[in-house]
Amino acid sequence: MSALVSAARVGLVSCTTCGLLSRPADKANPGCCPRCGAVLVWRRPHSLQYTWALVIAAAICYIPANVLPVLSTTALGSTESDTIMGGVIFLYASGSWPLALIVLVASVMIPLGKLLALGYLLVTVQRGSVENSHNRTRIYELVEFVGRWSMLDVFVDAFVVALVQLQPLMSVEPGLGVVFFMVVVVLTMLAAQSFDPRLIWDAAGKGQMHHG
Amino acid sequence: MADPDDLDALPQATVVPRKRWRISVIWIIPILAAIVALGIAVQRIRSEGPTIEIVFSAAEGIEAGKTLVKYKDVDIGRVTKVELTNDFAKVRVTAKMAKYAAGLMVEDAKFWIVQPTISLSGVSGLSTLLSGNYIGFEPGKSTERRDNFAGLDVAPVITDQRGGQFALRANDLGSLEIGSPVYYRRLPVGQVIAYELAPDGNTVQIKIFVKAPYDTYVYPETRFWNASGVDVSVGADGVNVRTESLVALLIGGLAFDVPPFSPPSGPAAANTLFTLYNDRTVAMKAPDAGARRYVLYFKESLRGLAVGAPVTFLGLPAGEVTSVGLTFDAATANVRPRVVVTFSPERVMTYANVKSGAASALQDEQKRRALVRRLVEERGLRGQLRSGSLLTGQLYVSFDYYPDARKTKIDLSQEEPELPVVPGTLVELEDKLSRVVDKIDKMPLEAIGNDIKKDLESLDQTLKVANKLISDADVHLVPQLKTDLEDLHRTLAAVERAMNSADTSILGSNAPAQHELREALQEFARAARSLRLLTDQLERQPSSVIRGRNEPSSGGK
Repeated sequence: MSALVSAARVGLVSCTTCGLLSRPADKANPGCCPRCGAVLVWRRPHSLQYTWALVIAAAICYIPANVLPVLSTTALGSTESDTIMGGVIFLYASGSWPLALIVLVASVMIPLGKLLALGYLLVTVQRGSVENSHNRTRIYELVEFVGRWSMLDVFVDAFVVALVQLQPLMSVEPGLGVVFFMVVVVLTMLAAQSFDPRLIWDAAGKGQMHHG
Repeated sequence: MADPDDLDALPQATVVPRKRWRISVIWIIPILAAIVALGIAVQRIRSEGPTIEIVFSAAEGIEAGKTLVKYKDVDIGRVTKVELTNDFAKVRVTAKMAKYAAGLMVEDAKFWIVQPTISLSGVSGLSTLLSGNYIGFEPGKSTERRDNFAGLDVAPVITDQRGGQFALRANDLGSLEIGSPVYYRRLPVGQVIAYELAPDGNTVQIKIFVKAPYDTYVYPETRFWNASGVDVSVGADGVNVRTESLVALLIGGLAFDVPPFSPPSGPAAANTLFTLYNDRTVAMKAPDAGARRYVLYFKESLRGLAVGAPVTFLGLPAGEVTSVGLTFDAATANVRPRVVVTFSPERVMTYANVKSGAASALQDEQKRRALVRRLVEERGLRGQLRSGSLLTGQLYVSFDYYPDARKTKIDLSQEEPELPVVPGTLVELEDKLSRVVDKIDKMPLEAIGNDIKKDLESLDQTLKVANKLISDADVHLVPQLKTDLEDLHRTLAAVERAMNSADTSILGSNAPAQHELREALQEFARAARSLRLLTDQLERQPSSVIRGRNEPSSGGK
């Protein structure tokens, strides 16, 4: 475990942008990265609190995003509203299960997975857990990577709403659900960003120290 | 851990500042999200309407999640579930109603399935062709809330439109249907909304709806009749074709109006029961209040006399034939045609006397009888079968005066008094004709023929003589006449010549006769002058006759 010494422990600060390890200009104010010029921080300020707040907000918004309709289709005088799950069920029932699977994964499981993953990371960091630090880092990377792909539903919605405007025969209006869905995606992305993955290893280092 | 001594100089606490107790501003975000989500949830729950169950006999065109419940074309709910009832006999439809429609879900609310209907009278529920069937709704009047209903199989009667409902009793439905139009002065003012067989099975009760403001034109005196299709009646009045409108012609309909004889009182109360007459003529017939039945025993054939044929009094309709049959007198083994008519002569008179007050004298039954008695016994009122139309051979009964008819007495005490009759015009005509034929038969036609033949022969001879005379004249007279004429011609020519010579010898300016005449006249003038001189001479010297004329010189001295 001797490899698990963090830069902060040895009085160095790593740049979050380019990864350069450098000496901080000052203890309280580490200054800027000599290579890329990004502001250096020991650890992101209030990282856990921010992340918690954003994750909770996203979790709250996740409920209306799935309960409220994302699309209102008006065809020949009758209006029908569809939720995300309703769309998945409809796609599955109409035989196109691969499409249903894509929507299910992209619109239901990924946001939920992100929330759960972030929650898991936060809990483990707060509890000072030292186990699975590698896996947790990988999870965090996955969450950050997947974040930019989660707007699929919003994009589809935007396209459909813009394209299907055959008044008075048929028109598609966005539902309130899509707003919440978008909020969920943005909040989880922000949460992932505000989470400092270095915290995962701080505990490991600390644990190592306590153990030692 | 590589160099712990160096690292001891670094302050540990500042590396990972933990300020868990301090609430960051970031928490506004989840609080905001929670408030918004809660607000939406609360709003959703508050706007949540009741869930109701409707049991239909069949769920035609109803789909869960799609079919709407509509009231006045406004969505008030949506079907969420369609399933069979526990005994599999019916369909239970679960619908989620809108919050604002919660107050409508009362005990006597009605639900029915609306389907597109295309009939000749119009197209209804056309939107269902595109959007599918929907559940129609009709609010009730009760205040008792309820959440399970029995759906109707047919759409209920319109009740929310302003107007009046009336009931009609008819013998049969004719070609009427729900939605058949009701006409007033050929204006479509309402429609048939329901019909049902009367409990006794003898009549049909038809419910109609008349829109406001036309419902105020339905009076207790109003008569309704069936304007279904074409009403062609061939009666003694000739052929009658009557129809209300083209639509009524095709799909049937009803019409109403107030008969002219009964001035309308106030508008009829809703659900008043009227009688539906078969056609306008029957409907507009004056009530036979004073009508009495009379029996007529005709002697001629009743062929062409139908029940309902008019009975006229001096040409005006005053009743109708109510029964046509034969009567058998067992004692004499005599079968006679027997016709029962309703006849109310006073009804005709009220037309004219309705204002003068004379009609009141006829209100009394006794007076009416006395009138009939007087008419028959004093004036010679008799019934007669007449042909209404030679084309169709329809007969009617006519009452007219026959002053020279044999006097008779009538017995008005009976239930159906007998009125005397005279043979019908046709029969009379036959009679006369046969008499004429008889007379012709009796004529000595042969003798007449012979006489005529003889006469003709003598006439022939006379003509021959005449002919001869004429030809004689031709032979003898004409040549003579010709010579005479030629002579005359010659004479005339001579005269003409004479005239011409006279023209030249006497009348022409250089004619010698004239010249001579002039000279003679001059001579005569000279002679006259000499004569004057002589007379002058004589006056002066009368002696000159004897002595001769003196010389003027000597004579005067």
